[in-house]
Amino acid sequence: MKEQHNKHRRRFLQLMALGLTGSISLIRPGLSQAGMGRFIMKSIPSSNEQIPVIGLGSSRTFNVGDDPLALDNVANVMHHFFNAGGKLIDSSPMYGSSQPAIGYALNKLAKTKDVFSADKVWTWEPGNGLAQIEQSRKYWQIDAFDLMQVHNLVSWQEHLKTLFSMKQKGKIRYVGITTSHGRRHDELEEIMKTQRLDFVQFSYNILDREVEERLLPLAKQRGIAVIINRPFQRGDLIDELVGIPLPTWAKTIGCNTWPQFLLKFIVSHPSVTCAIPATTQVEHVNENMVACFGPLPNHEMRKRMIDYVEKFI
Amino acid sequence: MISYRLSDFILFSDKAYYRQFELYNHAIWPLHLIALVFSLVIIYALWKKPAWAGRVIAALLILSWIWVAWAFLFERFYHIHIVANWYAFGFILQAGLISWYGVIKNQFSLFVQSKFRINIGLVLLFIALIIYPLIAFVTGRSWLQFEMFSLAPDPTVLATFAILFLCKVSAVLYVVPIIWLLISGITLVVM
Repeated sequence: MKEQHNKHRRRFLQLMALGLTGSISLIRPGLSQAGMGRFIMKSIPSSNEQIPVIGLGSSRTFNVGDDPLALDNVANVMHHFFNAGGKLIDSSPMYGSSQPAIGYALNKLAKTKDVFSADKVWTWEPGNGLAQIEQSRKYWQIDAFDLMQVHNLVSWQEHLKTLFSMKQKGKIRYVGITTSHGRRHDELEEIMKTQRLDFVQFSYNILDREVEERLLPLAKQRGIAVIINRPFQRGDLIDELVGIPLPTWAKTIGCNTWPQFLLKFIVSHPSVTCAIPATTQVEHVNENMVACFGPLPNHEMRKRMIDYVEKFI
Repeated sequence: MISYRLSDFILFSDKAYYRQFELYNHAIWPLHLIALVFSLVIIYALWKKPAWAGRVIAALLILSWIWVAWAFLFERFYHIHIVANWYAFGFILQAGLISWYGVIKNQFSLFVQSKFRINIGLVLLFIALIIYPLIAFVTGRSWLQFEMFSLAPDPTVLATFAILFLCKVSAVLYVVPIIWLLISGITLVVM
């Protein structure tokens, strides 16, 4: 099924005549800006540090075990990601061998100091949290994580205490919490109201917009950066859009493909800091990173984007 | 709003999954020759039904289940699937059950007479020993990703099923293979 999805995407890309996607792998971000408009960064509210609006997820895609060919492919994907100006990579102990794969690639690319490292603590035994974080750090082959998040709200009371303590000691720079698939939003809202979080992560896309009601406005109000996972519903959204023509006006917001259209929609929400699509394909990461360039859709354009997609799905 | 689907619990791609077999086959060569001998001995034992058949079949199954548990599920599959260590535990449990019912109680020497069961058993055995290793090649994957009885979980479980059908054995012996076929079937469909 995924092979079919890849074929569809490849065919779709081939149909895109403008060729902007391919060019990004060949040029540095600075040069890219000249040809494709401004490189879009957003601020982390708690520090005003700027990060690119497109990051890189690793769930499933980087879980390749000790396969040397696949590890080199991960490194190649990350090479193109960094080349296009990417910074933030997100992982979790839950994602099998994704963490060691990222570490292999960072080491190979000599990017252990440049990456914005975002990982998670995921254990029901709060006493094991510190050991797990240290193991994750070793897998990544980095000195320290930039962002450490509580995965899926697992034992969040205890883990947040650990993470705040680590932040105070300078062992991590930011503290966050995550959920996905639209689950446990009421509990997440309560946590966002009561805890001094730097980041929050949840699912959001052009069809699943429930978070626009409460969580996104709350993040803005509380000064919490927002990472969006599952921007393509793990590829299903793109599969559904195959064969549907991209509106001609998509070019006015710098979109030449559906993935760019979907990503631009997400990162144009004022409360969203970045989206983290995951991929095993160099052509996909290049394509996704184009969403880091050019104008962002305004409120009216976002409504138009929703209306257009909802006409077909 | 979306919620979990079965595929959300499979955190590896089909490509990564099948590559594990390629790497595994490369790493364990030439154990495939021993596995082939296992297959031939089991076929001979089921065909000629010598006095030693039951305990030898059981012993070869025990070795196969333990090997798959350790060498594939724990040492390899666990790298990409965080619950594969539990699968390995299930395979060890089945090896223990076969030891009790097959070696100690010698139930694999009690062959069924039912034509229906014999036919089902032989078809399953043919699929496990002959068809399954060819699937990688037939479906366009690298032939090096083949899965073989005694070395890979699916054909080992399928061949065990076949032998259970051909023998009058305790129903307890069906439990782990049925659970595995469900797990593996769902995994292959949704990954």
